[in-house]
Amino acid sequence: MSIPRSSHLKGEAGEASYMGMEIWWLVLSTALAAAGAVLGWREMKAESGGRSAFWFMTGAFCCQLMALGWRGELRGKCPLGDVGEICLFLSWSLTLFYLVTGSTYRLSLLGVFTAPFVVLLQGIALVPGAFDRGFTRVTTVDPWVEAHAAFSVLSYGALALAAVAGVMFFILNYRLKHRQLEGTLMQGLPSVHRLVKAMARITLVGWLVLTVGVITGLLMKSGSFNVHLMVATVTWVLYAVLLGVYFVRGLPGKQLAWGVTSLFVLSLLVFAKL
Amino acid sequence: MKLVCLGLNHETAPVEVRECFALSEAGLDRETEMLLSAPEITEGVVLSTCNRTEYYAVVNGDGVNGLEDWVCEQRGFAGSRNGVFYHHESREAAEHLCRVASGMNSMVLGETEIFGQVKKAYQRSLNRGATKGILNKLFQRAFGVGKKVRTNTKIQEGATSVAGASVELAEKVFGQLKGSSVMVIGAGEMSRKTAQALQSRGATSVMVTNRSFDKAVDLAAEIKGRAVPFAGWEEELTHLDVVIAATGAPHFVVKPGHVEAVRRKRKFRPLIMIDIAVPRDIDPKVGEIEEVYLYDIDTLQEMADQARKRRQEQLLVCEEIIREEIDKAHLPGTETSLKPDSSSIDP
Repeated sequence: MSIPRSSHLKGEAGEASYMGMEIWWLVLSTALAAAGAVLGWREMKAESGGRSAFWFMTGAFCCQLMALGWRGELRGKCPLGDVGEICLFLSWSLTLFYLVTGSTYRLSLLGVFTAPFVVLLQGIALVPGAFDRGFTRVTTVDPWVEAHAAFSVLSYGALALAAVAGVMFFILNYRLKHRQLEGTLMQGLPSVHRLVKAMARITLVGWLVLTVGVITGLLMKSGSFNVHLMVATVTWVLYAVLLGVYFVRGLPGKQLAWGVTSLFVLSLLVFAKL
Repeated sequence: MKLVCLGLNHETAPVEVRECFALSEAGLDRETEMLLSAPEITEGVVLSTCNRTEYYAVVNGDGVNGLEDWVCEQRGFAGSRNGVFYHHESREAAEHLCRVASGMNSMVLGETEIFGQVKKAYQRSLNRGATKGILNKLFQRAFGVGKKVRTNTKIQEGATSVAGASVELAEKVFGQLKGSSVMVIGAGEMSRKTAQALQSRGATSVMVTNRSFDKAVDLAAEIKGRAVPFAGWEEELTHLDVVIAATGAPHFVVKPGHVEAVRRKRKFRPLIMIDIAVPRDIDPKVGEIEEVYLYDIDTLQEMADQARKRRQEQLLVCEEIIREEIDKAHLPGTETSLKPDSSSIDP
């Protein structure tokens, strides 16, 4: 996309009084994700497979790309400098992994659970003030900082998706254990086996991407081992232990689901605090 | 010319009467030929399954009463005919055929086997030149209606038997059963049915164990499985995905300790256990183990009952589809418009 570089965009972006194009792309993306969530839910109720969610999320993904591109141009670097951008980037990576794994594992219903999560994140990004306007466009960047930020958030998209699969597992497991075997939701959910595999594989992909994020973090010029990097490393280690236990020793599906959901929530809370 | 249908089924005739009218493959050909040798009959299809025998014919003259006499004479049936036969003419006959092809008239509502049986019966008559314009058009329409009913309604959804419900649950846990391992504890009829239902969905390795090893061997041979001595069945748990228990034992055969002992070796993989015995064979505490999904006969029966109820609820929708399709087709229903269709029709 070619973004007009007017003089006020090159300098202090905060001086610009107009509403950024990224907001419009984000609004469109959120609307598409919301439509995907509603249609996905309706399709699931009608037992028709939830395919619309996939296509609406594809549209939402394209709009996220445009918004991210716009913010990147404004900042002159990877757009991960404020709450709005982090939510947007996380939504983008969540949607990316949903699109990739959704077709691979045919967990089309994952969209029914993922789409509302994306809407929530993007809703937070749309809260006035979430997007910082008082920054200066940078002229030089440390590529390791950029790579660290991008890979870390990308990995959180995958780990978030694993957590969503974990929530689906809880629902399915509860209903199977308590003999609540009828109903649309029950018919629409994937099998236990498929959900456990999906959780493990998506977590593995997220962990591998996080590995790159941590390594690039260690290579940053301002490379002191700060608290942020320490927390990232601890998160990496905890996920490594979870995956190691699952692949080497084995874990019941419920414990794996607890692992992927609690680790994700915990790490998100810690990073939010930082 | 008039389209008629004469038949008897599981609702109108007991098995001892139905068997008098049941026809073998060769018998069907003979019957069709003889049917057409009657001067007033111009087209005919004979359908014979374990639950029904039906004659669809295009007749001149006395219609269905004459046909009934002829059929009873052919089969040498001298018993009471009271309420045994049902007769349909014109539109009613067309609607009846659509119901039969859709599985709405079957003992197990919505079953799919009947569709193939009707198709085969029609094909046999077509090959022998026993069908012409009217029956060709009627059967083609009935096949279309049968497909539409199954696609657009939930008439065939859900398992209506205990064995089918077991398969449905196993698929909810494993997705697909291709390559899965099954152990049957007990060598009775329910064990056989459930194991065969799982095999039909792709379960490859089936083991049978029983206190009387000879019975285990017999059942294993019948279902192409492997007999395992009862003394060592626990060792096999490591590799299993599904356990079906249906013994006559008055106490629990499978206890939590059996599963706890192999959890690590199994790497905590999901295990589904189906207990179809009364008194129960599997201690309910086994179901408290995280990766074990345990279901007893009551749960399975309830699933089957629910599925049957849902299918019953679909009947009105199915009837509506049939009415609409028959209206659209301008088939023999409007007594006066029974005109042969000379166009060539592929079955």
